[in-house]
Amino acid sequence: MSQSKELLQVSVRRGTEDESGLSTYEVPQQESQTILDVVTWIQRHREPSLSYRFACRVGMCGSCAMMVNGEPRWTCRTHVQKVLRDGRLRIEPLRNLPVIRDLVCDMTEFFDKWTRAKGVFEPTETRDDEFAAIKPSDPKRMQANAAIECINCAVCYAACDTVNLNRAYLGPAALNRAWTLANDDRDGAYYDRLAAVSESDGCMNCHSHQSCMTYCPNELNPTASIAGLKRLASLAYLKGKL
Amino acid sequence: MEKHDTDILIIGAGGAGMFAALHAQKAAPEAKVTIAVKGLLGKCGCTRMVQGGYNVAIGNGDSVERHFMDTIIGGKWLPHQDMAWKLCETAVVRIHELENEIGCFFDRHPDGSMHQKAFAGQSFDRTVHKGDLTGIEIISRLMEQVLSRPIDRLEEHRALALIPSKSGNALSGVLFVDMRSGEFRFVRAKAVLLATGGGPTMYKYHTPSGDKTMDGLHMALRLGLPLRDMEMVQFHPTGLLGGSDTRMTGTVLEEGLRGAGGYLLDGAERRFMFDYDEKGERATRDIVSRAIFDEMRKGHTTTNGGVYISMGHLGPDNVREKFQGMVKRCADCGFDLAGGLVEVVPTAHYFMGGLVCDADTRTELPGLYVAGEDAGGAHGSNRLGGNGVANSTVYGGVAGDVMAADIDPHSGKFLHALRESDEDLITAEIERTEQPFAKKPGDIHELRQKLMDLMWDDVGVMRTRDQLVNGLEKLSDLKDEFGECGLADDNRTFNLTWHDWLNMQSLIAISETIAQAALWRENSRGAHYREDFPESGNMEDSYFTVVRQDTEGDLNVSREPVEFTIVKPGETLLDEDSETLAAV
Repeated sequence: MSQSKELLQVSVRRGTEDESGLSTYEVPQQESQTILDVVTWIQRHREPSLSYRFACRVGMCGSCAMMVNGEPRWTCRTHVQKVLRDGRLRIEPLRNLPVIRDLVCDMTEFFDKWTRAKGVFEPTETRDDEFAAIKPSDPKRMQANAAIECINCAVCYAACDTVNLNRAYLGPAALNRAWTLANDDRDGAYYDRLAAVSESDGCMNCHSHQSCMTYCPNELNPTASIAGLKRLASLAYLKGKL
Repeated sequence: MEKHDTDILIIGAGGAGMFAALHAQKAAPEAKVTIAVKGLLGKCGCTRMVQGGYNVAIGNGDSVERHFMDTIIGGKWLPHQDMAWKLCETAVVRIHELENEIGCFFDRHPDGSMHQKAFAGQSFDRTVHKGDLTGIEIISRLMEQVLSRPIDRLEEHRALALIPSKSGNALSGVLFVDMRSGEFRFVRAKAVLLATGGGPTMYKYHTPSGDKTMDGLHMALRLGLPLRDMEMVQFHPTGLLGGSDTRMTGTVLEEGLRGAGGYLLDGAERRFMFDYDEKGERATRDIVSRAIFDEMRKGHTTTNGGVYISMGHLGPDNVREKFQGMVKRCADCGFDLAGGLVEVVPTAHYFMGGLVCDADTRTELPGLYVAGEDAGGAHGSNRLGGNGVANSTVYGGVAGDVMAADIDPHSGKFLHALRESDEDLITAEIERTEQPFAKKPGDIHELRQKLMDLMWDDVGVMRTRDQLVNGLEKLSDLKDEFGECGLADDNRTFNLTWHDWLNMQSLIAISETIAQAALWRENSRGAHYREDFPESGNMEDSYFTVVRQDTEGDLNVSREPVEFTIVKPGETLLDEDSETLAAV
């Protein structure tokens, strides 16, 4: 069994949206140890009522994101060694979302915005039709593919300063999804979607700070997707379609 | 306690649950459809975790018959043939629906036609996929469709009990706890779909999502409903091993690593697979799992008690390029898959067993339907890689259509009205879930560890009568110990430890059914291997096990003959022409 070496000094934000404070715990350091493991250790050995959310454990579901030493991270895939500062960790709920309790955020607004940005495929064919013959080398398909592997973990949403200043802003994840659909030749809601993302709290608000790109655990670039949407929306406007 | 009514209630929001919601809402647009899930919509459960892909007979030279025969032979003649047939047949429609209506985009050939890859145990390259993250594409697109429709959502609602009507002749509704508030909620419905996903997480090493703890089957068991094939637990040979204190342990390292020429080495860094099979590391999942388990029993292990997988001889850069996702996942967790040694163990992956139902997802209890991993039968004793997500999406859709039809007043099913509930049972079930608050706080985590150890040691990859009897005794002791384990009632809001307690109750109960069914199957078929009965037995005399809990709480096991409704052992649906065509 891997030997415990030193003790990590871990402070965890506990409480609710209205009232919270940092509690500090000493957690034995292990060779194989992620931030999620640290949180789990505290729940199992120190604070049975500690609230946090996780599901898949391997970076596929995007349920366990938290702020770690002030930066948004997927905790199941973040090794302690990578983020430890002077033997200390500060673990807090994601920024820009309301807290349910302790480390758990309410993600409702994040997903409501996904729908508001028309982040849903609008079919033009049915199950009785053949598959669309789209080449992987098709430039639009390549654009869509480059942005599609989003796990809706809300790390980008927490990283985004524009969301922080304007909570109505649709945010990087929803706009990134809209961009993939704008490049999907099978989709039938092109102009409706561009209209939706061009509303007052939409893509034009992005200041290209690129925090979304910096922190996306899947190395996507929502900033580029949003820039693409701005371009398409402007073109549509000039054509009189918006 | 909050109470409300709906028309169609779906428990679970993976591939089965979300397909059911979409189909039900489309088939009965005036009906109120509600989907409840233990986590967030589309973010928990295992559909999202699908790496391989989706088996479907759409290639030139492939056929539903061929897919069906592969499923029957892979399941060692145990599958419910009508279910297996409908799975293969409907998968063709469902994959078109996923692409053309739901918006998934699967990998293409350079000419734009659908790409299908080879997957173990199949006679044709029929697995549609999106890289090695097919599940994320399927579940994300389904989630968007559900979010944008008039479907009520009860997220982070844990189902606690299926509540029958006062007369007991049909289901009335479902008792939940809203995990965010800790409050109870009772929802009545005309039709209820059980689609919580199985997930054998009672084993020391397991792959499924952490929220999956057999709650669906536990609820069905408590109602006295029949569970079949409960001994059939599929192990994947290469789960990541990082020690008992990390949640990474048990998660899958993909099959392709062995296929590409990866070595398995014992603790002394010696290759051992050729001691067991002439195909070496490329032998089938079950053989490799048993070989590793055997090496572990002999003590030929690594620091953490497993074996190594080694890829470096294939060239680290090559490995990095070919297995980008796996290499990155290992690197994030501190392991060098491309050039170093990574510790692995066999890991409990999928549960073939489940609630008995027909090919229309109906169960013995009117008003209750089942789909996905909670349903037993389609895979028999062994599931083919790529048939899991096909199964959940096919049968989720079927359930949505069937429930919508059954609640129609003209259906003749008498399910069109809501039914008065058995209030005494609701009270009793609330008491059951509140039990731990009245007891002295104990260490639930330690008990979970004990459960996982005993299931691994005695009811695991290889089994004997003595071990199974031993395992059942230990389970009985553990149940007593668990009965005394309490927790503080200081805050029920998002109280994970309370849910750990409830998870344990489900896991212990279903573990007992696994051990009992394993004791009753005195042969070795598919995922079930008895060292004291290593032969498979006559295929013609195939039986499946059925476990029921009686009113005293005792488990009764029986054997039922497999009905060969479509094809008999020794026969095939394929003619010579199709064999030749496929070979070409």
